Amino acid sequence: MKTLQLPRSPKVLLGLGIVGFFIILTVVGPWLAPDNPSSTAYAALLGPSTHHWLGTTSLGQDIFSQLLVGARATMVVALVAGLVATLLSMVIGISAGYLGGVSDDGLSLLSNVFLAIPGLPLLIVIDSYLPVTSRSNEFVIGLIISLTGWAWGARVLRAQTMSLRNRDFVEAARIIGESRSRIMFTEIAPNLLPVLASSLLFTVLYSIGAYVTLAYIGLTSTATWNWGTMLYWAQANNAPLSNEWYWFVPPGICIALVGTGLALLNFGIDEFINPRLRAGGLSARQRRSLGLPRRPRLGLTPVLAPRPRTARRNVVSS
Amino acid sequence: MTDVDAPTARLSARGLTRHFTTRVPGRIFAAKRVTRAVEDVSLDLVAGRVTAVVGESGSGKSVLARMLARIVTPTSGELYLEGSAIALGGRRTLNYAAQVQLVLQDPFASMNPVHPVRHSLERPLLIHGARKSEVDELARSVLARVALDPPDRFLDRYPHELSGGQLQRVSIARALCVQPSVLLADEPISMLDVSVRLGILNLLKGLADHERLAILYITHDIASARYLADETIVMYAGQVVERSRGTALIDRPAHPYTQLLISSVPDPSSRPGVDASASASRSFVRAEVGCAFAPRCPHATARCRVECPPAFAIGDGHLSRCWLHADQEGVSVDLATPDRQREGEATKT
Amino acid sequence: MSASRIDVGNRLDRRGASPSREATPSARDFVLEVSDFSVHYGVDANMVRAVHDVTLNVRRATVLGVAGESGSGKSTLVYALTRLLRPPGVISGGRAILNVSSDDDPARVTPVNLTTASERELRRVRWSHVSIVLQSALSALNPVRRIGREFDEVLRTHRRAMSRRERRRRAEELLALVGLEPDRLNRFPHELSGGQRQRVMIALALALDPELVVMDEPTTALDVVTQREIITELAELRARFGFAMIFITHDLSLLVELADEIVVMYAGTIVERASAGELYAAPRHPYTLGLLESFPPLHGERRELTGIAGSPPDLAVESVGCSFAPRCPFTMDRCRAETPPLAPIGETGRSVACWLHATPSPVPVPAALSRRWTAPVGPTAPGVTSR
Repeated sequence: MKTLQLPRSPKVLLGLGIVGFFIILTVVGPWLAPDNPSSTAYAALLGPSTHHWLGTTSLGQDIFSQLLVGARATMVVALVAGLVATLLSMVIGISAGYLGGVSDDGLSLLSNVFLAIPGLPLLIVIDSYLPVTSRSNEFVIGLIISLTGWAWGARVLRAQTMSLRNRDFVEAARIIGESRSRIMFTEIAPNLLPVLASSLLFTVLYSIGAYVTLAYIGLTSTATWNWGTMLYWAQANNAPLSNEWYWFVPPGICIALVGTGLALLNFGIDEFINPRLRAGGLSARQRRSLGLPRRPRLGLTPVLAPRPRTARRNVVSS
Repeated sequence: MTDVDAPTARLSARGLTRHFTTRVPGRIFAAKRVTRAVEDVSLDLVAGRVTAVVGESGSGKSVLARMLARIVTPTSGELYLEGSAIALGGRRTLNYAAQVQLVLQDPFASMNPVHPVRHSLERPLLIHGARKSEVDELARSVLARVALDPPDRFLDRYPHELSGGQLQRVSIARALCVQPSVLLADEPISMLDVSVRLGILNLLKGLADHERLAILYITHDIASARYLADETIVMYAGQVVERSRGTALIDRPAHPYTQLLISSVPDPSSRPGVDASASASRSFVRAEVGCAFAPRCPHATARCRVECPPAFAIGDGHLSRCWLHADQEGVSVDLATPDRQREGEATKT
Repeated sequence: MSASRIDVGNRLDRRGASPSREATPSARDFVLEVSDFSVHYGVDANMVRAVHDVTLNVRRATVLGVAGESGSGKSTLVYALTRLLRPPGVISGGRAILNVSSDDDPARVTPVNLTTASERELRRVRWSHVSIVLQSALSALNPVRRIGREFDEVLRTHRRAMSRRERRRRAEELLALVGLEPDRLNRFPHELSGGQRQRVMIALALALDPELVVMDEPTTALDVVTQREIITELAELRARFGFAMIFITHDLSLLVELADEIVVMYAGTIVERASAGELYAAPRHPYTLGLLESFPPLHGERRELTGIAGSPPDLAVESVGCSFAPRCPFTMDRCRAETPPLAPIGETGRSVACWLHATPSPVPVPAALSRRWTAPVGPTAPGVTSR
């Protein structure tokens, strides 16, 4: 098995750092929060200070505490929705791609329908039918979001599966008598791991967007804290118009940061799938130390100047 | 060479045919074109014997192997496993998989890159009824059978860590795990380095000689067929054009296509009695009527272009589908039927 | 073959003007001179030594065969020589000099050092003086261009004076040379068979009348019958135009028929070089012997052959001693400790890298490797002998 090693690219490391930070925040955020985010014990609309790092709302709630507590709900919904949607797209996409024929037609139709229906309105409709008690349940909301987010991944996985379906190792598995489900999920699926990972990142990103939107337009319980409800209350109290930036900018920045982190991580997956992206095999530092031109050029293989180091290597080996 | 021990065929095919229908591109009212990939091929795979099928790419030899493995469904024809008829059209069953195994051409592509060798060997063992506790022991013994020693060095390796020759041995080991009676090998050496090819050929030969497997060896390399074969079949454009017991057809090629094939093989030592300039036409065209080889044949006559020749016996078990041999003995026999079968029928009547 | 004449007056004069073969080897005799050439993949700890200290010369108007298995470095060598090797390939040492004869004065030969040449110089030399035919014609031809475009482009870049109509005429001539009808110019690559595509590649390589054509396994993907046709054609073309050729293949018996001189490569080094006839009749390196014995014969008694035990070495692992020692049936202690140099043996100018043939001989040379070479077998492909 390939040993896991830290990626070289600074982009990927940064992405890893950002996403890791927010995942830690998900776990420890509510414990770190200095105050109860709903408590209205303070004066209204205080600016940022050493007491209230991000000021207070018009009801006198501590915004920093809201941000920390809200991280958990936001991230939990995003992760649940991302995982469930990826699982759905995997089962549906691989089955459609491998089985072909009628199953493919049916499953493709299903995913095309879900692709064609605009996700957000559907989400709003489903959500408005939910009993109010489940609107505050992150898992229920996550499941509903995943329902609108699996179709694109399924399309991609179906296409990838179709290109693997006739590969020799799949045929070899058929020859020894392997069952269809085992071929799909132990022979084909592991080969799609990079695609699955990429699909997971994007559905997580989509889910954050969808959840924040739902909360922002007031379709989740406004009593539970997440970054969307923070924006909802800020908007409801005209914060953007009265220059109370400390109320709505921090949750916005957090959402943007998680998105950036996920996108940066995806670069890592690209490099993992396509090693050719790695600057022609030699890192910039190596090229510099060898006195080679910075950019590799096709049709001009570099020639190393005779150096003591190279000479010694030759002597040792000959 | 002889039939004294009256061997029974493990796997027999009668009149196997496969047509592919493709649409002619560029037409709205698409005329359908039928490609005759394999046309009326019969053969018997006998325990302890290697049957070699030789042909160029496009001759239908790989489709033939896949029909025998029941991965491709024949358009028509019959299959008999240990004498009992197999219903065509159905899926490849577990029982069939336990008897007939196929080794694919490209050892690098036929191993799943994400699984170690152990997985490739344990899966067939588990599928075909081995107990979990004995699987490890069995996998080791199979690796030893294909001369991958010591087994511990290979069990936990990934395909990209092994060479082509080693992978092809693993591939053969995987097929042997189910203890088949018939092994179909589709160009098993063509992707391998020259220096390890003989090792694989000797392994196949050993499996036939010592473990009494019935082996079908498919190749485009007529010299390797000569090295292995107990029966040799030459295919051109989906048809059997020449067949003989042993390697008679390589030593004394009768059909113009076989002659062309043999004269084309690079051979620095002398090449007796074959004219290399016989390759009159370059294009690989398959004639729609008449003899399929006629457009390229230096001996083609008017008759060849209108009438497809039947097979003519030109020696002991040596048949050629060519009008040149029509008057040799004056007997026309059905080339599609292997000689043993014919002899059997002759005694019955 | 009713091919139209190609303008080769220059080339024939050039050959006529060059000094006779017996003269001391000079720049005029050799079209390519390579010395101590080494190629690495990567430079760090994961470096792979793909080609190591290779020295070889290609005589004008002859065929040099390069035989070896995958991983022997044969393809890497020629790609690096022409500086076409892709990253992470790096030329780590040695020299490669292409002796280019000038177009106006054929007797004048200018050496071009390929390892120091600028991109502009390389562009000038490639195709007009040295051209390459690759194994896979399908990936070398642009799938969305008609064949004619490829010819047009080459001629337009290198023969500025030609008019559009002249270029078309020339393209038709070139196709006729390799036995294809002119209407193929209007086809797309996928509409041609494998053999036809490879013929197009050969015609393209000859478009500018080069002095050296490099063929990297041009027939490996083809059927034997097509291979035979192409080899025969190549011999005819060479007899007519007198270009030199480097022919790379794993098929030693094909090389013996085709080449004048053969080098056998193993694990990035040359282990033996000899004339084709000598190599076939009396191999001196155990690996060459093993390779020759790896091809089952087409006639004679059927007997069991053993090939070569083991598998090719992993070049990423630096080894001590002869790289063939682990597979060699004649290994001695010295083989595991010291790498044998490529040293001349006998009087015919052949060389071998094997301690068995060191003087004074450490042990009696095994019978299989001390066979006497008597009658010249020579290339048997038609056309070659008429040279």
